[in-house]
Amino acid sequence: MKTAVRHTALACVIAAAALSGGCATPATSAGMVATPPPTAVHQVGSDVSVAVSGGSATSSTGASQISDDSFAQALTDSITKSGLFAKVSPSGARYKLAAFIGKVDQPMFGFSMTVKMEVSYTLTDTQSNKSVWSKDISSEYTAKASEAFAGVKRLRLANEGAARENIQQAIAAMAALTL
Amino acid sequence: MNRLLRLGIALATLMLSACATNNASRAPDANLTKLKTFYVVRVPADERGIEKLIAARLNSMGYQSTSGDAPTPAAPVDAVVTYQDRWMWDITMYMIKLDIQIHDGTSGAILAKGEVMRPSLQRKSPEGMVEETLGVIFK
Repeated sequence: MKTAVRHTALACVIAAAALSGGCATPATSAGMVATPPPTAVHQVGSDVSVAVSGGSATSSTGASQISDDSFAQALTDSITKSGLFAKVSPSGARYKLAAFIGKVDQPMFGFSMTVKMEVSYTLTDTQSNKSVWSKDISSEYTAKASEAFAGVKRLRLANEGAARENIQQAIAAMAALTL
Repeated sequence: MNRLLRLGIALATLMLSACATNNASRAPDANLTKLKTFYVVRVPADERGIEKLIAARLNSMGYQSTSGDAPTPAAPVDAVVTYQDRWMWDITMYMIKLDIQIHDGTSGAILAKGEVMRPSLQRKSPEGMVEETLGVIFK
């Protein structure tokens, strides 16, 4: 009887330890910055401002999420790195790029974690107040167990990879525009 | 040893009984009041008929809604609805999370999204999860 109680107690403690074994951390902007396209982008000689909505904050006991601020920073850094616009201004720019994070589909658990993401982008000319480009972009990224042992970190890496791929596609699409 | 058992059970219970959450957000300038007709796309892996529950709930909310396997509706609609349902086991299977997205029927852009997460101790029926998620989206 004593042995059964001891085993139950240990199982409960191990289960609790496993469940609380790591705190979720949000996706970082650095991990979401897209690499510049291999081909030269069509440069727009005007500035742009960036606005992001639809993101979520990460609670330490929940799953890793992508916040509006970190996605906006990654988008800003990616645009700057690509040289797509003359500069990214906080406000009052000629163009405004709005991104709505419409879907972040995450697994609950798994060795390989795949995150599927969908973002709606709209680029507006603030002088004419007309939308000059809009596109719904889907992306996904699988973080394998070899990338990170802890599930919470693997999910963060999958979030960042999906966001990075999404931003990469957005920049490639905007590079083809003639503004 | 009894103290260790109580501590372990308390910790495990605490971890498995996280709070229920729900939230929704809309794309800038999205106007959901214009939407009257909907088409719900069944997730290929869904064998529980969640798409039918979503369509039925939309109909009961006063909209016209159909559902099906095809990614696009046979006839034009104002909005296409997609979802992701997540299930867990705790004595019985239950839906732990439901995400729903409302897409523009023409452009496909996501207009709004909502999600509800309910751990085991706060579980609801699939119908209840659908009702709560659509409720926060159209609030």
